[in-house]
Amino acid sequence: MNPLIEVVDLSYSYRAGSGNEVAALKKVNMKVFEGEILAITGRNGSGKSTLARHFNCLLTPVSGSVDIDGLSVSDKTNVASIRRQVGMVFQNPDNQLVSSIVEEDIAFGPENLGLPAEEIRERVNWTLKTLNLKNLQYESLNQLSEGQKQLVAIAGVLAMKPRCIVLDEPTAHLDPRSRREVISNALKLNRDEGITIVLLTHFMEEVTRCDRMLVMDMGEIKMEGTPKEVFDDEEKILSLGLDFPVSAKLADGLRKKGISIPRKTIHAEELITSLCQLK
Amino acid sequence: MELTKNITLGVYLPGETYIHNLDPRTKIIAAAILITLLLFIKSYLAYAIFLFLIIAILVIATIPPGYAFSGLKPMLPILVLMWLFQLFLYSTPDAEVIVSWWIFSATDAGLHMGNLISMRVLFLFTVTTILTLTTSIVSLTDGLESLLNPLKKIGLPSQELVMTMIIALRFVLILAEELDKIIKAQMARGVAFDRGNFIQKTKSLFPVFLPLFINAFKRAEELIVAMEARSYTGGKGRTKMKTLHMGRVDLFAGLFILLFSALIIYVILIVPPVI
Amino acid sequence: MPIEINKLSYSYKKGTPFEKQVLKDISLFIRDGEFVGIIGPTQAGKTTLAQHFNALLIPGKGSVVVNAMNTADKKADLVKLRHNVGYVFQNPDYQLFAPTVGEDIAFGPRNQNLPTEEIEDRVAEAMDQVGLDYDTFYKRDIFALSGGQKRRAAIAGVLACKPQIMILDDVTAGLDPGGREEIIKVIQKLHTEKEITTIYISNSMDEVAMLADRIIVLDQGQVLFDDQTRDVFLHARKLIEIGLELPEVMSITTRLAEAGFDLPGAVLSIEEAVDAIAANLQQGQVKD
Repeated sequence: MNPLIEVVDLSYSYRAGSGNEVAALKKVNMKVFEGEILAITGRNGSGKSTLARHFNCLLTPVSGSVDIDGLSVSDKTNVASIRRQVGMVFQNPDNQLVSSIVEEDIAFGPENLGLPAEEIRERVNWTLKTLNLKNLQYESLNQLSEGQKQLVAIAGVLAMKPRCIVLDEPTAHLDPRSRREVISNALKLNRDEGITIVLLTHFMEEVTRCDRMLVMDMGEIKMEGTPKEVFDDEEKILSLGLDFPVSAKLADGLRKKGISIPRKTIHAEELITSLCQLK
Repeated sequence: MELTKNITLGVYLPGETYIHNLDPRTKIIAAAILITLLLFIKSYLAYAIFLFLIIAILVIATIPPGYAFSGLKPMLPILVLMWLFQLFLYSTPDAEVIVSWWIFSATDAGLHMGNLISMRVLFLFTVTTILTLTTSIVSLTDGLESLLNPLKKIGLPSQELVMTMIIALRFVLILAEELDKIIKAQMARGVAFDRGNFIQKTKSLFPVFLPLFINAFKRAEELIVAMEARSYTGGKGRTKMKTLHMGRVDLFAGLFILLFSALIIYVILIVPPVI
Repeated sequence: MPIEINKLSYSYKKGTPFEKQVLKDISLFIRDGEFVGIIGPTQAGKTTLAQHFNALLIPGKGSVVVNAMNTADKKADLVKLRHNVGYVFQNPDYQLFAPTVGEDIAFGPRNQNLPTEEIEDRVAEAMDQVGLDYDTFYKRDIFALSGGQKRRAAIAGVLACKPQIMILDDVTAGLDPGGREEIIKVIQKLHTEKEITTIYISNSMDEVAMLADRIIVLDQGQVLFDDQTRDVFLHARKLIEIGLELPEVMSITTRLAEAGFDLPGAVLSIEEAVDAIAANLQQGQVKD
């Protein structure tokens, strides 16, 4: 697989050069591969958002480099092209939706790309269909639930037809049902449209649904691998302020009781299958 | 405690009436004409005619008049204050004193002035409220943008101005809801907004407005980042999904407003101003 | 200081075209020292109901009586009531405003016009209760706090009023696992040690299942269930139907039960689940 995003020795400080600068990223190296679902987790303030904001030129490296499909984010002439390829969804939908009607907000991005009216219309319709939002097309955003608003925010990014969507804690303030819906939709975009997904989250259940994960702490990447590999290092996970998926906790408890559940069990399905075989 | 209840400015009341379906440009121009007329009205008769028009529009647009005017409630203290100022401070050489109290005296000229100015503010408010109640923010701004377009040639950043307006209006509601929560959060810690003297009351505003402003700035910052992430770089190179077009109803409405203006101008000319 | 609610109904934006009934005919009773969870799908009326408990909202119909005082009574001392019934909002940014942590926490008691020493004592005590070290945090800039610390400062700000009842409105939303755990520990401690009646509104079924003794389930402004925690989760199917999820453990045990395991209808913790599942398997081994 070829990397869509390549980060080399990236360092970033807020208020750089002002004397009381805060180092947010320290020599970070990582890659995002085309077509994968990557989770980035770590406690609040660990540098996740700062890293992700480099992916579509909202921040530019203080030192080191970030390349999107070979285009450097530090080069101002690449900004427009990179933002077409990498879309971003934020935590609070109220602070990212611009318009007050669903379809008009979805059109905002394509309008910024200067597309002809018919194509914008086409894209909006396609987006509404892809995310099953047809019934909300003319709704006023004030009338929607937080979960629906967040889906509209994803739609607004999808309508720009990006290759990669970065979701920055999109479910932090949602109820469990909406949370699942938002994540399922993001995963569907990966499966059906081949869009690369980078998901920043605190929810371990969401992390386990990703192909690969990174754990950040104090501006550095502390762990990297598939969720199965990463959650296997119990001590390190706890020291980084994270938690385990419930299935892993159950599996662990059962193992301690002498029941032979395979290590690296993190999904409910796996656990249920193993238990059914034991019975 | 419900703050958002009395905010009508910037609220859109969806509907499918003739007024709702007018081209936003028609409505904006009509509102502009009406507002201009208001600045020249100096007789009670003209205001009466104007009131008649307002009620007619409310009826056609199926807006409950009680609701349209409820937005005035928060403004009432300011209006009363303004009225009192005029009443006691404005006078003409030939004015007759109607009441006097301590060092203050009110003249009939002051009374009329107070009435006229209050009514002017009332009507200005009502006209704008009707405009926003019947026009979604988006079509409102599309209309404004299209009207301001010719001014781009002389360097007016019309698209940016309009975008600023959209966001300001969108945020009014969000902030009002937020204000409601902040007030409650502080009331929960024992702030009594309705108690104490003027200084105590003023002091009790700090714990409310400080968080409000800080949150508003935070929101604005996040919104700017989100817009930037969605490739917004100002009006340049931006296209629109929807294009506006005027129909027969617009023509009819335009003619009607012209006739109405003629009537008002006639009244302004023949009826002597009360002051 | 019991709360007694009788046939409470409430509509938002009453008298406007946007009028919407949020609460319908709610009756309930909250005893001293209880830990009550309030759950329900979004817009079920959870917050609206809770804001009646300390007279932030006054009933449209019906009555709310806190400690024998009717909140609709014009002569009721609502300011005093609100000191007795503390309310912590989801977003600490709505509450924190003073430049330093200490000053912000002192805001509540200062509104009670207490003597300075008493205020300082209360601030110190409240900071201790939420685990914010006095020497480290008293002069700390509010905006230099982490998400979890801000929540704790907000809780301390309410605790400093010495409430007998505390309402916590989705206070763990948006926190990382560590921050969540800290807050939960604080809440548990306050309830067990200080015997504060706790009303816990949350979207997290796991937290409610773990913390609450009793759960009130709201759906479309009405009380659907009001029962012991375990008994409420026995209605798993109904809860899912109205848009709620089960606690994560239960979503696994329910599926195991469907696959033939003999498990209780409601399983509220990992330990319980482990024991119940292990019992099943060990039984099987004996049979072999």
